[in-house]
Amino acid sequence: MNRFEGPLRWLKFAWLNTLRNRRRSAVTVTIAALGTAAIVLAGGFALYTYESLAQASARATGHLVIARPGQFSGDEETPLQHGLEGADALRRQLLADAEVRHVLPRIEFQGLVSNGDKSTIMMAVGIDPDAEFAIKGPFLTLHAGRMPTSGERGRVALGQGLARTLRAAPGSGLTLLATTADGALNAIDVSVAAVVGTGIPEIDQRLVYTDLATAGQLLASTRLSSLGVFLSSMAATAGARERLAPALPGLEVRSWLDQAPFYRSVRELYNRIFGALGLVIGVIVVFTVANAMAMSIVERTREVGTLRALGTLPAQLVRSFALEGLVLGGLGALAGALLALSTSLGLLLFPVQMPPPPGRSDGYPLQVAIDPALYGATLVAIVLLSMLASAGAARRTVGRPIVDALAHT
Amino acid sequence: MNAPEPSRTLAAPAALPQGRPPGAKVLSLRGLHKTYRLGSHEVPALRGVDLDLGAGELLALIGPSGSGKSTLLNLAGLVDRADAGRIELRGRAVQALGEAEATRLRREAIGFVFQGFNLVPVMTVQENVDYPLFLSGVAAPERRRRVAGMLQAVGLDAHAAHRPDALSGGQRQRVAIARALVKQPALVIADEPTASLDSGTAERVLDLMRDMGHRHGASFLVASHDSRLVSRCDRVVELLDGRLKGAA
Repeated sequence: MNRFEGPLRWLKFAWLNTLRNRRRSAVTVTIAALGTAAIVLAGGFALYTYESLAQASARATGHLVIARPGQFSGDEETPLQHGLEGADALRRQLLADAEVRHVLPRIEFQGLVSNGDKSTIMMAVGIDPDAEFAIKGPFLTLHAGRMPTSGERGRVALGQGLARTLRAAPGSGLTLLATTADGALNAIDVSVAAVVGTGIPEIDQRLVYTDLATAGQLLASTRLSSLGVFLSSMAATAGARERLAPALPGLEVRSWLDQAPFYRSVRELYNRIFGALGLVIGVIVVFTVANAMAMSIVERTREVGTLRALGTLPAQLVRSFALEGLVLGGLGALAGALLALSTSLGLLLFPVQMPPPPGRSDGYPLQVAIDPALYGATLVAIVLLSMLASAGAARRTVGRPIVDALAHT
Repeated sequence: MNAPEPSRTLAAPAALPQGRPPGAKVLSLRGLHKTYRLGSHEVPALRGVDLDLGAGELLALIGPSGSGKSTLLNLAGLVDRADAGRIELRGRAVQALGEAEATRLRREAIGFVFQGFNLVPVMTVQENVDYPLFLSGVAAPERRRRVAGMLQAVGLDAHAAHRPDALSGGQRQRVAIARALVKQPALVIADEPTASLDSGTAERVLDLMRDMGHRHGASFLVASHDSRLVSRCDRVVELLDGRLKGAA
C-alpha cells in the first residue's frame, strides 16, 4: 500500500459521508463560511484601521522623533528651553543612515493669533513647508488657498476651525503673539496662504503651520524643538532606533508609537472587540459542526459498530470523523475566504464612504486589508476547530461497546 | 487434539478443506458465563457453555429467542466479553485480550455476516469487500486480485462498481459473505444470515456460505431459526436458557 493510498481513501470515505445528508452538510458549510468571512472581514478592517492610524501617526511626527529629554516631558519654563542646538550637523549625521529618507526640523510653540478684532489661542508648528506637506500627503487636506512653500517667509497655513473663528481666508493678514526664548512677549505679522484640515476638529481649531524662519524670529531663538526622522518603511523603525540612539548622547529617540496614544487606545479597543467577536464566531462554528456531526454519527451508530467489528480501531474511526470535520470546515473556510476576498476587492472597486468617527470631522473610505497571514490563520483555525468538534462528537459513539452499537436502531 | 463437543448432528459433515486436518479445532469455548444487568435486575444469558468448532466446519446454533445465541456469537467473535470462561481461537486464549489486540485479531482472523447485511452504504461493492484487506495493510495489487476473485466467486463481479442500495437483499448478503471471507479468516460469525431473505435466495446464500467456507477453509458459527439452514450445516447445536441442550 503506497503512503498516500491510506490517507486518500479515508479522505474519500469522509467526503462521501458528508454527502449523505446534503442539506445538513450545506448548512454546516454555510455557517463555517459565514464565520470565516466575518472573522477575516472584521480582522481585515481592524488591520486597515491600524495601518491607517499608524501611517497618520508616523507622518505627523516622523517614524522617530529626536529631542532632548526635557522636550518630551513638557516641563520647560520658557519656549525652546530644551531645544536642540546645532541641528544641521545632527541632520547630516542622521541622513548618513541607510534607512533614513528625510530629517525634518520642527519648532512647536503656543501663543495667540489675532485678526485685529479678535484673538484666540494657537498651537503653532514651525516647519520646512515643502518637505513637511509632501510627507503629510493625504493626512492633511487643503481646503482653500495653496500650501506655503519653503522659500516664502511670513506665510501660514491655518486649521479650518481656527480660520472660521478668525474669519480668515487666503490673503488675510494676522498677527502671531508668543513668548520668546528669553521670556519677553513678541509679535509678528503674517498672511494666510492656506486653510487646511487634519480631520480632527480639536486640532483644526488651534493649528497654525508657519516656516521655521518666521517661528525662529517670533521666538527669538535658533533652536529647534525636535527632529522628525522619516525612514524607508514602518518596519525599519525599531532597527533604526536601536542603531541611532546609542550614537546620540544626551538626546532621546522616541518612535512614532511612543508619540501615538490614540493609535494605542484604538488598537487595544479593537483587539478586544474583534477578539471577542472571533471567539463568539469560533464557538458558533464549533457548536454547529459538533451538532451536525453528532446527528450524523448517531444515525450511523450501527455502521460504527460494524466497522469496529470488522477490525477498525477506535482511533481510526475518530480520525475518519475528524476528516469529515476537515471536509466541512475546509469547504466552509475556503468559501468564506473567497467571500471575504471578493468583498474586499469589491470595496476597492466600489468605494463605500463611512461617516466621520467620534472626534473626527471627515469620513473615511471603508476598506478591508487583504492580509495573507490573517486568511491563513483563520482558515487553519476554522478547519482545526471543525476537526476537533467532529472528533469530540465522535468519541462517545466510537467508544460504545460494539454489541450496543450493532443493536442500535 | 480435542474432539468437538457432542451435539445433535442433523447432516453429515462435508469434505473438509485441504491443508487442515479433519477435526482441528479453530474455536474452543469452555465454561462461558455471561449475565446482563438491567438496573438491579440480572439476566443470565449463558450459563457455562462448552463448545468446539472444527476447521472448515459449518455449525448451526439454534434455539428460541433469548436462549443466548447472539450472546454466544458476540463472545466467540470477540465483540463482547464473558464474565467467566475460556475462549481459544486457533489454540490461543483470547478471552482476556486488550481492546487493541482483540480488534487486530478480529481484523485478521474473524469474519462477520450480519442479518441486516451491514454494508457501508457510501462504499461500492468492490470497496466494501476490499475494506478488511485495506485495514490489514495488504498491498493494492494483491487486494485487487483477491477482491476480484471473491466477487467472481459470489457472482457479483458485474456489480463491483454498484453501491449496496442498487442491489437486492440476496446480492447484498453475498457481498457481506465476500467481505467476511476475502481475508481468509479462520472463523466466520453469522447471525441470522438468511432471516432477511426470501426462501429461494436464502437457499442460494446458504449453499454459497457452505461452498465458500469449505473452499477457503473457514469455519462458520451460524445462529439461525431457519430450518433450511439447519439441514445444510455440518453440525447443529441447540441452546436453551443459556445452556447447550443435552449438556449437563
